Amino acid sequence: MSSVLEINGLRKTYRSRGGPRRALDSFDMHVEAGQVHGFLGPNGSGKTTTLRTLLGLIRADGGEMRVFGQELPAALPQVIHQLGAIVESPQFFGNFTARDTLSLLCDAGNLPQSRVDWAFELVGLRERAKERVKTYSLGMKQRLAVASALLKQPRLLILDEPANGLDPGGIREMREMMATLSAGGMTVVLSSHILSEIQIICDHVTIISLGRRVAAGPVSEVLAAYSTGQVRVAFETPADLEAAGQVLSAAGIGYQKNNGHLLVSGVDKPASISRMLAERQLYVSELTPVGADLESVFLELTGTAPVPGQHRPVDQSVKVSSEANEANPAGAQA
Amino acid sequence: MSLVKAENRRLFKRRMTKWSLVIGVLILAAIFAGIFFSHQKSTPQAIAAAEAQAEQQYQQAIKDWETRDKALCESSGRPAETCVPPQREWFQGEHLLPPSFSFKGAFGDLLIIWAAIMAMIAFLIGATFVGAEWSSGAMMNLLTWRPKRMSVLGTKLGVLLGGMTIVGVVTFALWTGGLWLTGQYRGDTNGMTSGTWQSFGLSGLRGIGMILLFATLGFTIASIGRHTALAMGLAIGVIVVGQIGLSIVLQIARVAYAEQYLIPVHMTAWLNKQITLTDYSGSVSCGPNGCDAPQKVLTYTDSGLLGLGLALVIAAIAFWSIRRRDIA
Repeated sequence: MSSVLEINGLRKTYRSRGGPRRALDSFDMHVEAGQVHGFLGPNGSGKTTTLRTLLGLIRADGGEMRVFGQELPAALPQVIHQLGAIVESPQFFGNFTARDTLSLLCDAGNLPQSRVDWAFELVGLRERAKERVKTYSLGMKQRLAVASALLKQPRLLILDEPANGLDPGGIREMREMMATLSAGGMTVVLSSHILSEIQIICDHVTIISLGRRVAAGPVSEVLAAYSTGQVRVAFETPADLEAAGQVLSAAGIGYQKNNGHLLVSGVDKPASISRMLAERQLYVSELTPVGADLESVFLELTGTAPVPGQHRPVDQSVKVSSEANEANPAGAQA
Repeated sequence: MSLVKAENRRLFKRRMTKWSLVIGVLILAAIFAGIFFSHQKSTPQAIAAAEAQAEQQYQQAIKDWETRDKALCESSGRPAETCVPPQREWFQGEHLLPPSFSFKGAFGDLLIIWAAIMAMIAFLIGATFVGAEWSSGAMMNLLTWRPKRMSVLGTKLGVLLGGMTIVGVVTFALWTGGLWLTGQYRGDTNGMTSGTWQSFGLSGLRGIGMILLFATLGFTIASIGRHTALAMGLAIGVIVVGQIGLSIVLQIARVAYAEQYLIPVHMTAWLNKQITLTDYSGSVSCGPNGCDAPQKVLTYTDSGLLGLGLALVIAAIAFWSIRRRDIA
């Protein structure tokens, strides 16, 4: 696969009255062609700064960025027509109709006006295209923003929180649209806080915290790297729990007794548990590897899991050392 | 060219542009109507009627003098030689005629009205054209399509100036045409030589130049502040503090030629080619032949260079700002 987006060592420090704030700290990100790439991070972690820097809206202090092999921001005018993007909340002039808004963008981008209807159809706004943008709900503005990004029929689509404000049906439509676009060969970079959606939609993911990459790679590998390796074992008869525990202890296998089941850890092949217990006439009714989900991995990596009785200020995440990042297999680019 | 097309559409699609122009034209129309209906052509019939009315008034005055006023005057104790009957020359028919409009004589003063109103409208349109784009985020969106910032801002400014030139030419033509018709139907258009027309045309060009200057100022100030409100606030601040306040302070401080620091004076100098300023700050003695206060002439080149310099400096800051500052 060819690399569509490469970011290496990107740095950006904001200077304000409160003192300098490092938004990006040698951040790396690699996206290959055809990927649907999730870009995750807590509030203030540097996601939007990264995307804005990529689009030439913010000047980086250092580092390298390449899109389709061309160095940014110098080559941005050459690649911009292949790059569709929405950054943060939808930003449009409220007094224009949605049709006028997209039509003007078509003119500005020297695109045929026929793209306008095509984009409206794609995001489900065709019937409301003649209404002023200021009358739109947040979800409709979001759809309009996605439509504006799709007008170029780009090779790389960057969407920042596209599901923000959408109802459940809209989120599902957005998910299906991403799948369709990806199947058509479009590379999609998707920033979102709806981690369950990212887990479903994306095949690759990059997680950023405090301006640094803390994990990256295929979603399955990132999840596997943070998987606990535990297996949930349940029995038809609760009375078997005690006996099964003794069998596992005798075999040197650790476990925890939970509500009506055992959480067994340190087992490479879950089937061996079933075989071992069956030899003692203990028959399991459930044998399920306990996998990590993206949310728990995200919370662990960014240190943003809520702690009872504590309030976490915005921007407060854990600092992940570069050594730890390198030691983590998912931290290296897949 | 595609961006020029888009920005042209955007400029004239905006409600603020449409309504500002409508309001500007309505104000000009109201002023024009006032001028038109307050003047009348001096036809021979009207002159004859006025002369007849003057003669009637004279005869009535003579009658009043003989029957009442003469006795009153003589009994008042005033010297006899001051009690004279009404004279015929006191009753002129032209005094009883409604004012007649002289196109050639009035054009210069009325041009200032057109230029000042359209300059104000141009400032507003210029400020909102880019200010609303910045504050709504539409500018940021546009820059994700056209990442060359200087080119985008330059194109927007160019389109604004092009649009305002058209607006200026059209409204100047309407204003001049309207005043010429007023001269035709409510006065006279005497003395209009090709040289006079040329002079009026050049005055109109200077008026359009002033409109473009104000459009540039509104646009560039709003772009620096990234909001329409900055330009409007600054304009109000300049008018209230910089003009009304400053003129009071300058008069109190008895600064020489204090008027030269006021914008309307420069606008008048620009449009009327020159303005003569009189310095009353020192000791001035006046006699039958006028006062001996020193004077100086402010020419349109002085005012033009000042305006051009101001516009160039602010435009340079606006372009530097969009080139250097992050867009968040």
